[in-house]
Amino acid sequence: MSSSATAAAHQLPRSESRTLSGHEGAVLAVRFNNDGNYCLSCGKDRTLRLWNPHTGAHVKTYKSHAREVRDVNSSSDNAKLVSCGADRQIFYWDVASGRVIRKFRGHNSEVNSVKFNEYNTVVVSAGYDRTARAFDCRSHNSDPIQTIDTFQDSVMSVNVTNTEIIAGSVDGTVRTFDIRMGRETVDNLGHPVNCISLSNDRNCLLANCLDSTVRLLDKTSGEMLQEYKGHICKSFKMDCCLTNDDAFVVGGSEDGFVYFWELVDAPIVASFRAHSSVVTSISYHPTKNCMLTSSVDGTVRVWT
Amino acid sequence: MAFDDDDQDLVVYGTPIEREEDISARKRRAVADAGQLRALPAWKQEVRDEEGRRRFHGAFTGGFSAGFYNTAGSKEGWTPQTFTSSRKSRAEHKKQSIYNFLDEEDIKDMGGNALETSQQYDTFGFTAAEHARKQASKEQSERPSAIPGPVPDELVVPGTTSIGVKLLMKMGWRQGRTIKDAHADSLYESRREARKAFLALSGISNVEDQDQIASHTSRMDENVAESFDKIRASGNTPVYVLHPKEDLHGLGFDPFKHAPEFKDRKRLQKSLNRDGNRSDISMRGNLLLSNSGQYAPGFGIGALEELDVEDEDIYASVFSGFSYEQTEVDIEPSKTIGDSKFKLEDRRRGVFLTFKMALNSEYKLERFHPPEIPADFDGHHKFSSPIQAADKFSDLAPPEVPPPEDATLRLLVEGCAAMVARCGKRIEDFYKEKSKASPQFLFLDGGDGCGYYTRKLWEHQQKFIDQQKPDIVKSKPSSEKLTAENRGKILGERPLDRSSKSSSSSFSAKDAVQLQSNLGDTFVKPISLDAVPESKKPFRNEPAKQARFEQFLKEKYQGGLRLANLVPTSTMSEADRARERLDFEAAADAIEKGKEYKAIDPFSILGLPGLNEQRFVSSTQLESSVVPRDEKPAYPQREEFEWRPSPILCKRFDIVDPFMGKPMPLRRPISKMDTLMFMTESTKKTNDDVDSSSRTLQHASVSGTEETEAQGTADNPDIVSSSMQRPVDLYKAIFSDDSDDDMDEPLNNQPVDPVKTSEGANMALNRLVAEDFLESLGKELGLDVPPEKPALPANALFRSEILPMADRTVSSRNGKTTICRELKENESNLGLVEAANAQEDGPSSNVETLDLKCEKQEHRAEEGRSHSSHHQIQNCSPDSDTSVERHRSRKRRSHHRIQSEMSDSDSSSERRRSKKRKSRSRHRTGRIRTPDADSSCDSQKNKRKRQEKRSHRTRDTDSSDHEYKERYTSSSRRSSDKDRSRKRSRHRSHRRKDPA
Repeated sequence: MSSSATAAAHQLPRSESRTLSGHEGAVLAVRFNNDGNYCLSCGKDRTLRLWNPHTGAHVKTYKSHAREVRDVNSSSDNAKLVSCGADRQIFYWDVASGRVIRKFRGHNSEVNSVKFNEYNTVVVSAGYDRTARAFDCRSHNSDPIQTIDTFQDSVMSVNVTNTEIIAGSVDGTVRTFDIRMGRETVDNLGHPVNCISLSNDRNCLLANCLDSTVRLLDKTSGEMLQEYKGHICKSFKMDCCLTNDDAFVVGGSEDGFVYFWELVDAPIVASFRAHSSVVTSISYHPTKNCMLTSSVDGTVRVWT
Repeated sequence: MAFDDDDQDLVVYGTPIEREEDISARKRRAVADAGQLRALPAWKQEVRDEEGRRRFHGAFTGGFSAGFYNTAGSKEGWTPQTFTSSRKSRAEHKKQSIYNFLDEEDIKDMGGNALETSQQYDTFGFTAAEHARKQASKEQSERPSAIPGPVPDELVVPGTTSIGVKLLMKMGWRQGRTIKDAHADSLYESRREARKAFLALSGISNVEDQDQIASHTSRMDENVAESFDKIRASGNTPVYVLHPKEDLHGLGFDPFKHAPEFKDRKRLQKSLNRDGNRSDISMRGNLLLSNSGQYAPGFGIGALEELDVEDEDIYASVFSGFSYEQTEVDIEPSKTIGDSKFKLEDRRRGVFLTFKMALNSEYKLERFHPPEIPADFDGHHKFSSPIQAADKFSDLAPPEVPPPEDATLRLLVEGCAAMVARCGKRIEDFYKEKSKASPQFLFLDGGDGCGYYTRKLWEHQQKFIDQQKPDIVKSKPSSEKLTAENRGKILGERPLDRSSKSSSSSFSAKDAVQLQSNLGDTFVKPISLDAVPESKKPFRNEPAKQARFEQFLKEKYQGGLRLANLVPTSTMSEADRARERLDFEAAADAIEKGKEYKAIDPFSILGLPGLNEQRFVSSTQLESSVVPRDEKPAYPQREEFEWRPSPILCKRFDIVDPFMGKPMPLRRPISKMDTLMFMTESTKKTNDDVDSSSRTLQHASVSGTEETEAQGTADNPDIVSSSMQRPVDLYKAIFSDDSDDDMDEPLNNQPVDPVKTSEGANMALNRLVAEDFLESLGKELGLDVPPEKPALPANALFRSEILPMADRTVSSRNGKTTICRELKENESNLGLVEAANAQEDGPSSNVETLDLKCEKQEHRAEEGRSHSSHHQIQNCSPDSDTSVERHRSRKRRSHHRIQSEMSDSDSSSERRRSKKRKSRSRHRTGRIRTPDADSSCDSQKNKRKRQEKRSHRTRDTDSSDHEYKERYTSSSRRSSDKDRSRKRSRHRSHRRKDPA
């Protein structure tokens, strides 16, 4: 490891600056908003919460979901939210008023993940019903405008770039749907994929697999670039992500640890116990060295 | 071609629109002229009729266009005639009618207004009588007769009417009217009564019939009677009609009570049957010859009366269009009572109309039971031959007994046992005979050493049987039929589990799966190839490699099909694997040669000398050499499919729809096989060689110069087609020439194995048989058949989860592949330029913002397409689609008549094309365009020079394209057989090559 990398490793957010507590029960996801000033969390208590992680202020609570909320995403203009959950519905919220603008129906069972597209015109969701669906935010139609049902098993995670929809599924595949080319690219990893996240340069794909391995794929060629091991990920849906400078891979573990791997050579750079229990979600600040983790223990922690 | 396919399920309703040629030439001219005429000044216009003739027009209707030039056929319009009449030639008095001045059209226009006298309307019947008389005389003159002059019968014409009728007529009665006061209240009632009665009579007498009746003078009397009947029938007194009883029904039973329609049909039939004595029956027949539906239309209704709703013949509307099955009438037995045939028939049907079946009949069929088989009969003949006896013995082994102390006795016992075993029971009996005399043989009868004897005997017998068995096998003639089991044994099949066969022919899904899995491990290792001897371990120093080699060997010689789930796992790179495979092949060959010296041919052992070597071994070799698989899959694997984003999604993502909103091409399975093939292909997705080649291609294109790129893309269709299924091969055989194959070869990275290629063409034929069989079998069973790299499902819908859809979507693959082939020729020319451009622009266009003009977007779509073609992978759908478009449009413009090549020449594609053309014309007016320039890559940084150059080139291909096609279609048909076989053999040789 080069000296610069070591230096960078020292700057990794390791110290807990704040604990955002308020959720009753497990927090299933935590996400920075687009500019990183706020964060959203959602959990088993059927609520979404908007926080200011830098001050620790709880800004707002959004209630409407009938069952646990599994994922949340904010639009790039920070005006809208979209959340999904076990109630099979996708809620399209107005941030300021806290009202549900629209409910998107179509999934036949729990919805695992949801994302806005670049222009906030489409919401793409991934569900336990083995489909990924795209909903139109512009029209009043609550039915999906596109249903992707080529998955063999529950779709755990979805990501949207400006031309692609990328989804990882328990069937062990990461499928990239290129809208521009009309092509579906299937990368079979052989192990259930829990979470996928994109590198900030959009060239690499990080897939958290259930064999306690995080895999880094080259998006264009489908080649596996690196495997990151050391954590435990066997039965929970846990997030992984890259740091904002794409130098490290961050992943949670079922024993409450958070691991940092160096991107290229995959050694564990740092690991520390962040929570007492499973780290369900990790979100890295888009610009600063700041990180959010959420856990089954009901807390969201801010790390700097 | 595909066009014919379309025709097959085309349903045509209605009459086709007449083609223009069919319209008469004149008419056409008239139509054409009409347009011109309008432009002419009024005085120059000429009026023509719809047939194009110049006609006198409008004179009688006061048409304003009447006049000289406009109307009449002559200068005068119509020529005035001079009236001349002299003493010698008197002027005929011409009676002119309006018809002299009208032509058919005018008459037609007048409609049916012409007045005519009608013979039909005969109020008093006089005209009819007169008519009849005339007819009679005419008949008489025509008839050849010995006696000249009228026949007396014909001379005597009875009075048409009886005195009563005459009186009635004088009183103002007219035929067809009631006697009662027409205006009485009961009129309506009486009419109904009359009709009812008439129904019962089921006769008719409309005017026509009356005429007919009148025409036969011999039936005048009856006519009168009929008219009386009518009078009475039409009166308020119902007529009692007497029917002679002719049927077998009970009195008063009317089988047609509720179905009078059938009644007179029946009668009609009856009367026809009795054609012989026509003279007296014909009248009745005539009477009854009512058209089964129409019951005396107008009968009983006065001429001045209006038809009521009730008067309308209700049956006419319903039944007139029908003709009933005659069989239904047959219910009534029409023959006399004694007819046994009908009786039988009725009995059989259980419909005996008048009699009931007796509950217990006295007549009984006597039955004789088959002889009883004794309980101990087992149906097998027992032979008392020694071998059989031995067999019987061999089952139960007697207990081991220590030999007797006496050495001589022991020897004797052993010798005897050996003898008996060899010669059979008889010798024992013989010994037994002997033993009565000598005490030495007491052991035979349960004496000393008896136990030992039996044991020994058994042992010998076993030995003997063992010796003989192989002899028996050997002695079997080798020409014996090769049964399925035999073959299986030879091939090393494991017999199927009986339990897995479901008794019902329809398999449930679960069963099918089970069966498949069972079949999967049906094929086991062939005999004698299990272990690789120590000497045959060329990779002893590398245990892992050796293991892989053994695996490879096993696969190579493994009979039949490969296990489905064998996917390469090892982390070796493609190139490494390929190299290793080559090594293995060489080593295996060496081992094979060594074996030949030793002559350990597994098949010769089994007494089937070399029969299968050619057929089976070689084919399996082929298979294994093409797709040798490592046992574990290597992750990650990448595959690509076509995926159709919905247009709205594209819109929302602000991306041009790659398919331009074109719906999925509607595909039908060409056969059930196709669906099955796709099932398997979609479930199996390891396309090593294709993948690798594509990857290398990508690599090359990224790094390489323009030339290599162009080469790569130009070759792309080749990969696509080569990865296709059999149909492609066929088409390849037809449509491609050797140069194409030469292009394939370096691509597949399979150097020729010299040994294999030296195998002759006659081998190829043999192989074809076996291979085709195996292949089709495999496909039918849904197993993976390695050598044919599946044309990957063209889109997501082919995936197994959506099987119901699959059959719909699969189909037109054939059409497509052909296109691929054709395409290839074009592409290889065009591709150079196109691909080069597309590649150049690839990355930059990604970044381009999208609010550009249409042209730019189009370019993007194009670029995307070419880009995707670069990625190529297994399916060629979008590329081929667009290229088909291209191809097609090109053709169209070159004014060649094209049959639409694709089966899915859907309207949307048409639309799209037209749209394209439109937009093109919008954007590129003023520019000279060749057909391809637009579709290939208009996008580019429009360098004039290049474009011009390109346009030249493409124009060339344009013309050559057609030559190509024509040549191929003509020549290929002739020599297709030869070609195919040649092609196939060539194909095999390809396959045998190993990737370097």
